[in-house]
Amino acid sequence: MKSKSRLLIRLIAVAVVIAVAAAMMVIGRGHTIYFDNKTLEANGQTYTAPYQIQVFVNDQSVGKLKEGDRGMVDTMGQDFKMVLHITPEKDAKKTGSAVTLKLPYNMDGIIINLPALLGGAPEEVYQSEFIPAEVEEDVEDVDVSSDEFEMPMGDE
Amino acid sequence: MKTNANKKGSFGSFLRRSSVPLMFILICAVCIPLSGLSPSYLVNEIVTRMGRNAFLILALLIPIMAGMGLNFGMTLGAMAGQIGLILASDWQIVGIPGMVLAMILSVPISILLGLFCGKILNMAKGREMITSYIMSFFINGVYQLVVLYLMGSVIPIKHSSIKLPRGYGIRNTVSLLSMRQKLDNLIPLTIKGVKIPVATFIVIAVLCVFIVWFRRTKLGQDMRAVGQDMEVARDAGIHVERTRIIAIVLSTVLAGIGMIIYLQNMGNIATYSSHSQIGMFCIAALLVGGASVDKASIGNVFLGVILFHLMFIVAPRAGAAITGDSMIGEYFRVFVSYAVITVALIMYETAKRSEKKQGGEQLRQAQLEEERK
Amino acid sequence: MNTDTKKEKSRLKKMVESFGLPRLLITLFLILLLILAPIVGADLPTQITNIIARFSWNGILVLAMVPMVHSGCGLNFGLPLGIISGLLGATLSIEFGFTGAFSFIMAILIATPFALVLGTIYGWLLNKIKGGEMMIATYVGFSSVSLMCMMWLVLPYKSPNMVWGMAGKGLRTTISLEGYYINVLADILHIKIGNLEIPTGTILFFALLAFLIWAFLHTKTGTAMTAVGSNPTFAKAAGINVNKIRLLSVVMSTWLAAIGILVYEQGFGFIQLYMAPFYMALPAVSAILIGGASVNKASITNVIIGTILFQGIVTMTPTVMNNMVHMDMSEVIRIIASQGMILYALTRKTEGSK
Repeated sequence: MKSKSRLLIRLIAVAVVIAVAAAMMVIGRGHTIYFDNKTLEANGQTYTAPYQIQVFVNDQSVGKLKEGDRGMVDTMGQDFKMVLHITPEKDAKKTGSAVTLKLPYNMDGIIINLPALLGGAPEEVYQSEFIPAEVEEDVEDVDVSSDEFEMPMGDE
Repeated sequence: MKTNANKKGSFGSFLRRSSVPLMFILICAVCIPLSGLSPSYLVNEIVTRMGRNAFLILALLIPIMAGMGLNFGMTLGAMAGQIGLILASDWQIVGIPGMVLAMILSVPISILLGLFCGKILNMAKGREMITSYIMSFFINGVYQLVVLYLMGSVIPIKHSSIKLPRGYGIRNTVSLLSMRQKLDNLIPLTIKGVKIPVATFIVIAVLCVFIVWFRRTKLGQDMRAVGQDMEVARDAGIHVERTRIIAIVLSTVLAGIGMIIYLQNMGNIATYSSHSQIGMFCIAALLVGGASVDKASIGNVFLGVILFHLMFIVAPRAGAAITGDSMIGEYFRVFVSYAVITVALIMYETAKRSEKKQGGEQLRQAQLEEERK
Repeated sequence: MNTDTKKEKSRLKKMVESFGLPRLLITLFLILLLILAPIVGADLPTQITNIIARFSWNGILVLAMVPMVHSGCGLNFGLPLGIISGLLGATLSIEFGFTGAFSFIMAILIATPFALVLGTIYGWLLNKIKGGEMMIATYVGFSSVSLMCMMWLVLPYKSPNMVWGMAGKGLRTTISLEGYYINVLADILHIKIGNLEIPTGTILFFALLAFLIWAFLHTKTGTAMTAVGSNPTFAKAAGINVNKIRLLSVVMSTWLAAIGILVYEQGFGFIQLYMAPFYMALPAVSAILIGGASVNKASITNVIIGTILFQGIVTMTPTVMNNMVHMDMSEVIRIIASQGMILYALTRKTEGSK
């Protein structure tokens, strides 16, 4: 009997650990978000970029984007909140707006076109995946550290 | 057991036991002024290194308790930790959740490696240390096989920032920028310019409490009994082999977690070399703290980190100041690390032999008395 | 008939057992490599030349294991200590201005006192810690190598062929032996048939030392050494001075290591200083184990077979692998095979020593 309950406890423990791991995979998923303040044309509609947008994430300014600029921030998890301060014309008054977004899990880098987002465009219009340019590089020769001729120092 | 403890309490043996720490205090006392490093810099460095290394060194305590000596096989855990981190960073799990995930991933690997190591060590009783030392090389070969050939070809690796350009295998360095010092800075605290990694210290404190608690459990008691005398423990009905395997498994798992804490502080993994020296440095630090092959306490860990790393920081500068060549100091600290381990091993073996001799002597005396009657 | 095959089978099984499974695997692997080599387009004579050359370089270093194993001191993980004596001999010989073949003889002569003194200290130490030799030997090796790292920088070497050009002091990490004793042994009676080359001189030198060790093991002192290794209590009862014999074996091992590194250098063409000797013990240890030795038993045959097998795998795997799959896994295979072999030997029960 004792061994049975012990097995049960162990199974529960393993299940809990797996659950924690799963939770970590959800809440810990990192994304890099790129903000574009660029005029976008889609579906016959034009979303004009304002003079300047300042983006705040977690009460910290992550960039003042003039027209045509791109800013970026690293985030964790799929719920993304930001506050945008929009200046439509030079020397015009700022208007603030808070935005909450759901991010797709399987994208590492996400480009968000702010004018389109503010203009109420659908998700597939304002959001696109950022694909890093393939950097041509010389095939790097791996220096496998063997058990020979190695400098035992490290720890710096 | 009691009388044994009393016998060791004499002043002379105290001096012998603490000769290594005393020597290090002397080295540091000479080197610190020569190095010209400011006290605030040194304190900062020591606090950082304490957070970085203490967990790893604590992982060594349990096998010592079980009489298996210094666990050179802690490298196995370090490799498991690195595999966990590589996977977590390829899956783009960042920050604390990424670390937790890496730890969870490392645990089953550590357990498997620990079981294997424990089994082998049970087959090599009396030569645990050299066997665990060779074991670390052996598993390093397997690790390279996995990381250099299987990752990317069999185990999916997505990001080209981690993968080698040839399509499989992991790069020489894997950046952990997304996890860098996330644990250290979780609870920010700076006292007089000294940055204190509070959360890391809390984790270390939890492990210390665990070790203290573990010593009092049935399993912990069994381990100590096995460490004292395997045969006696076996007669008392303790599963000696099983207990020893558990000790190694625990140590390996803890080393894996410790390695993750270590690497989050460093901010990147040197895929093919981070783990290889970690065992040596941790063991040297523990021994500098006054531990021996068969006896080590939590206090030894912290004293060891302070003294060993103080030497480590000041030696190159001091060496450069004396000889005008910074390499001398570099070599000096490497030499000291090895020399400390050598001296500790020699002291342990001689003590063991003289104990054996004394035991034999007593037995002979008893026999003689028997005969006289 | 039936019983005959059965007998054959059990005999085969016994042979496998005495040969050891890992050893069998390694032998089969090497044979496989040798068969594959011509198929994948590697030139077999060149390969065999490489194996023979590397055997001739490493043979004596592996031979240096034998005396200590015989006296029960276990595998000599402290080989770097002897290597350092050899390096001191080599560098001092060049420093004193000897050249050509004469510099080799002088290197041996100068290395010898160092090896004797260091070996004596080392042996004395190992007598204090009977039972824990291998671990302490490892760390004695490490400590001495890292101590010498400082010494190579500090010692007042002056020869412009050895010191850093800019600073004018401190030895370089690798020193070319061009003009000194490069290939002095290999060039004696050197045989060349097509692509096949045999460094006869080096092999003869190895054979000479191997014969001397073999002959020594059959003298009175030599048999005493074997007795000490296989049963120290009995040896003591028989009136053998155990400590003295062990000390002698350690000195012999250290001296052989010193000569071994010099022979290695003459073939390799360079003196390697600083951290180079650090892990040199491990290949030698695994080689003798692959050859069939155990922690407390080793013969000259073990040395020869082991060195050929080990060096064979080291030289053959990269070429065959590269030609076959364009993937060089040789390093990994080498590590797993050699360390696995040491592990296997360490887990075997040993008679007598405990």
